[in-house]
Amino acid sequence: MTDKKSSVVKIILSLTLVGMVSGSLLVSVYNYAMPKIKTNVRAGTEKAIKNIFPETEEIKNTKEEGVFRAVGENGKFLGYAILAEGNGYQGIIKLIVGVNEDMSEMTGMEVLESQETPGLGAEIAGEAFRKQFEGLSLKHAMEYLKNQKPQEPYQIEAITGATISSRAVVNLLNERLDSVREKLKLKKI
Amino acid sequence: MNTFEELILIFIAASITNNFVLTYFLGICPFIGVSNSIDSSIGLGAATTFVMTIAATVTWIIYHYLLAPYNLVFLQYVVFIIVIASLVQFVEMVIRKISPPLYRALGIYLPLITTNCAILGLTLFMVLRNYTFLESVVFGLGAGVGFTLALVIMAGIREELAFCDIPEPLKGSGITLIIAGMLALAFMGFGGIISG
Amino acid sequence: MIKDFVKGLWRENPVFVQVLGMCPTLAVTTKALFGLSMGMATLFVLVSSGMVISAIRRFVPRQVRIPIFTVIIATFVTAADYFLKANFYEISKALGPYVPLIVVNCIILGRAEAFASKHGVARSFLDAAGMGIGFTLALIVLGSVRELLGSGTVFGYRVMWAGFTDWIIMVLPAGAFITLGLLVGVFNMMDKRFMKRAEEK
Repeated sequence: MTDKKSSVVKIILSLTLVGMVSGSLLVSVYNYAMPKIKTNVRAGTEKAIKNIFPETEEIKNTKEEGVFRAVGENGKFLGYAILAEGNGYQGIIKLIVGVNEDMSEMTGMEVLESQETPGLGAEIAGEAFRKQFEGLSLKHAMEYLKNQKPQEPYQIEAITGATISSRAVVNLLNERLDSVREKLKLKKI
Repeated sequence: MNTFEELILIFIAASITNNFVLTYFLGICPFIGVSNSIDSSIGLGAATTFVMTIAATVTWIIYHYLLAPYNLVFLQYVVFIIVIASLVQFVEMVIRKISPPLYRALGIYLPLITTNCAILGLTLFMVLRNYTFLESVVFGLGAGVGFTLALVIMAGIREELAFCDIPEPLKGSGITLIIAGMLALAFMGFGGIISG
Repeated sequence: MIKDFVKGLWRENPVFVQVLGMCPTLAVTTKALFGLSMGMATLFVLVSSGMVISAIRRFVPRQVRIPIFTVIIATFVTAADYFLKANFYEISKALGPYVPLIVVNCIILGRAEAFASKHGVARSFLDAAGMGIGFTLALIVLGSVRELLGSGTVFGYRVMWAGFTDWIIMVLPAGAFITLGLLVGVFNMMDKRFMKRAEEK
């Protein structure tokens, strides 16, 4: 290490040099990695869509970002797959839901990303919780009940001990679905 | 929930229910190193809280007005850490001028704030969760308060521990970690405050 | 020379002896695989930044060495993070924000300051490698214990008997702290025993 008091010029020079080398290194890393990352994210989304609509042969984009058309054999329209995200208890929750053509019914729900508490909030990705969204009516805003079986076709039961995570899911879905309804110019509920 | 309620929620979450030290494991190094004295814990905690709040503010501005619009997000880590390091340097100078006794008391712990994972961690979370400006400031404040809280509680316990008989292999970091675990358990119970 | 490498594995193990780099240690070791991945990422950053810092050590003005070291470290961490996201997407998601937090992992700056900035590239490489591998081993041990008791598996393979109820606490923060504390205790006990035997010889 140069122990003598270095001139200001040397200091600025070394800082600039390091900055430039670091910057260019990072730009190349970025260019290398970004295409692969995009592919990974897309693969994850496609897998989730195929879980919701098992007969999917093709996934088409729509004008709206985060809204896809799942298309089956012979071009049969299976439904819309909609990406939704919002704040959960521990971080952002990213979901994808399947809905029918006029958005009156939900086909299913998959969790793409969540950082909720393992064993509690993380159960939103579990079979039991997700199954409630299959065939859920969307003719009314979704609601959640605590420690009670759903009374109406648009209600689900929150996970015991994970009310906040369950509520987060319901809220973010309601918001997203309303906004998509408007964008697709479908009838409001 | 209106904005004010949301802000209170973020504050309580960051300081208590999702305490940075006991839930996210951020800020452990100073937590284990400094928490043997209540006084230095309070001092370090206060300094850290100050740095955290300002760091949240500055990094938010830089991210949203510089990095994101110009597609420079991949420079995030480098830029954030430089900002934090500079802030700590600045705070050090300020404390030196304003209160030399405090400066002497904090000694080596001041520059250590830079490597406190909690500060970089909070800036990263803030970006991940897409907080607004106000939410970020409150988040930083809450995180600092939570950190100080964990530190002071631990210091209180350790000061008492000095009079106990601890098995040799566990002395020092071993027992501190175990106690931290019990504290973490206790803090988990706070999760109930928010539900409903 | 060999000593430079070996000391990181046991005598000066970053996790059990120096108690450094705790943040990622406790956070990601819910499964042995994650511990291994985080360890590898940290090893990469340790070795690459250590070698670079050692190589340029004569040219770095003393006053600005910490910022320069930090920028170098942050650059390698960014590279590691993006590499993981591109090639090991699932693991990257699981490790989450703790990969970028390698930047403030006290081990890296600590080794850079204490060793790499004062010794040649070859020795710095050995020092960094030793510390990195010692760190990784510690993480694998912690991760295995937590995964075994918390999910009944180790590296994904079911080990516990079918009726075993998972100790969920192992996967939660409290379990992490307590397990590490106990492991530190065990390490110290074993260390004492080795020392005694060496003296008796």
